[in-house]
Amino acid sequence: MRDNTLKYLLVLPAVVVVFATAIWPLMESLRLSFTIGRLNRPGSLDQYLGWENYTWAFFDEPAFWNAVWVTAVYTLLTVALTTLLAMGLAMLLAPGGRLRSGVQTLLILPFAMSPALIGVSFRFMFNPEFGLFDAFFGLVLPPLAGISWLADPVLAFAVCVMADIWGWVPFLTLVLIGGLASVPRDTIEAAQVDGASSWRVFRDVTLPQLAPVLAVVIILKSIFSLKTFDQIFMLTNGGPGTATQTLSHYIYFNGMKYGQIGYAASVAWLMVIPMIFLTYAYARYVFRKN
Amino acid sequence: MAEVRLKKLTKRWGDVVGVDNQSLQIKDKEFLVLLGPSGCGKTTTMRMIAGLENPSSGEVWIGDRMVNDDLPKDRDVAMVFQNYGLYPHMTIFDNIAYPLKVRGTPKNEIAPRVKRAAEKVELTPFLERKPKALSGGQRQRVALARAIVRTPKVFLMDEPLSNLDAKLRVTMRSELKHLSKQLQVTTVYVTHDQIEAMTLADRVAVMKHGVIQQLGTPDEIYNDPVNLFVAAFIGSPTMNLITGSVSNGMFVTTGGKDLVQIRAPDQSAAVLGVRADDIAIHDPGEGSIDVTIYAFENTGDSSLLTVQWGKQRVIARGDRHLRKDQDDIVGITLNPNHLYLFEPQSGARIKT
Repeated sequence: MRDNTLKYLLVLPAVVVVFATAIWPLMESLRLSFTIGRLNRPGSLDQYLGWENYTWAFFDEPAFWNAVWVTAVYTLLTVALTTLLAMGLAMLLAPGGRLRSGVQTLLILPFAMSPALIGVSFRFMFNPEFGLFDAFFGLVLPPLAGISWLADPVLAFAVCVMADIWGWVPFLTLVLIGGLASVPRDTIEAAQVDGASSWRVFRDVTLPQLAPVLAVVIILKSIFSLKTFDQIFMLTNGGPGTATQTLSHYIYFNGMKYGQIGYAASVAWLMVIPMIFLTYAYARYVFRKN
Repeated sequence: MAEVRLKKLTKRWGDVVGVDNQSLQIKDKEFLVLLGPSGCGKTTTMRMIAGLENPSSGEVWIGDRMVNDDLPKDRDVAMVFQNYGLYPHMTIFDNIAYPLKVRGTPKNEIAPRVKRAAEKVELTPFLERKPKALSGGQRQRVALARAIVRTPKVFLMDEPLSNLDAKLRVTMRSELKHLSKQLQVTTVYVTHDQIEAMTLADRVAVMKHGVIQQLGTPDEIYNDPVNLFVAAFIGSPTMNLITGSVSNGMFVTTGGKDLVQIRAPDQSAAVLGVRADDIAIHDPGEGSIDVTIYAFENTGDSSLLTVQWGKQRVIARGDRHLRKDQDDIVGITLNPNHLYLFEPQSGARIKT
């Protein structure tokens, strides 16, 4: 009996902290999403609207759908390209691969940078007057010099995707190197002797055995891509116009800048849906039995 | 089907020498065993034949083709790995069919050939399972079936039985022997188990420190070892090695006791090798010398006596009905027709 009391007493502080900093704010935001919730209108945080914030987002806000679209494309592109690049690099860097050691340590550097810092540095690098890329293109491909990268909707979006890939590839590469190291060498050598070309060894033997790790990588990266905020905030601030406005940026703008905290909360809760799905998939892969 | 020739083959990793300038000719349809303790270079030699390891120098020939620059897939060999190397995500059928699939065998030929290979190793009921659902012995058979589903030029087997328990190893050994006689394909087999080498091989190459010590039939290796290493490595119990000297046609053991007559020039120091089976046990006073029993072991089919005089211990095999006790005194005589004399420093055999 005493043991049991002590047990609960010991976890109590942790439970309190989680409740105060995660559960309660979450519930509060859920409540707010059903109110008028204007920061500049006293009392509106308690005026209930029902589902109106949600229907508003769905049926009366093209900007919401724009943010959904941007987020979806952004997520698809960054997940696909980051995973592909990381896979390629991991193959080269894995034990028995062609590069190694020194390069491996160097590679982790981008991951050590905060996303906001990546955003700022890429903004400077793509500056049309004194940016690194401008100088580079001026030297190598003069027609591309002087382009205002961040002023063009498509180019700005591409720069955002690029910055994200640059920041994430190293970490995912390391994870995949670990995954590759756990594929039994025997099976690869058996396939080589059995007569498989290196591509078929990869496709038939390495990849299927790497699948669980690869799934975790893709799911994790999807979650991180979906919630991207700081990098975009510092790099383009959603612009030009709303060309690079992701959902989290859209939520921030509506909530903090326009003071529509109730509406912002409802959009945030809409975002929870894909997140729950991905988290569930992640948990299934990581904690699955055997 | 082809012969395999290794010409002055060397494998070095930095300063470490795995295989040191070795030449070896493996005849067509021969079952050759590379035998030696771990780290002797036997597996490295095999991996160089398979193409999984590149030689530092020297040449590997399979048939009439120098294959140094060929990838493993182009060498037309099949290999059985120590840990089997089965594809865990494929069914047993797909595992066995894989070499056929990647080599572009027509689809309608694959199923019958897989079934025939599976039948040979008695795997037919398990074809739809995954490797995880099989026992060690069954996995071993899958690896074997995957090798025999094609007829390659050479079979390579890397300690295929070492992960099985003792009982299963004996069964699989005889199955392997039966299969190899049936298939008639050049086979290179790596093992550290001298019984496997003796029972399976047409010829054995005993290796140590990357150098082949002796190449010969099991009979030659067992009955005519070229040096101390081979003599001590082959046989169970291990050959007895008795230190002493030779004078006037007599081997004199430590303490100045005459042990046995031997036809050899005088040696101030020599090592005498004699197998447990070639030592006869008598009542005290009736043998060449009297010795104390250090340990008596009854193995059921015979008795093993570890006997001692001075600091010298030897093992003698006695009749299965012999019963003695520790510290009993017995006499022993050595069979003068089966003695081996070695140089103590170099380990080289002194002809008698």
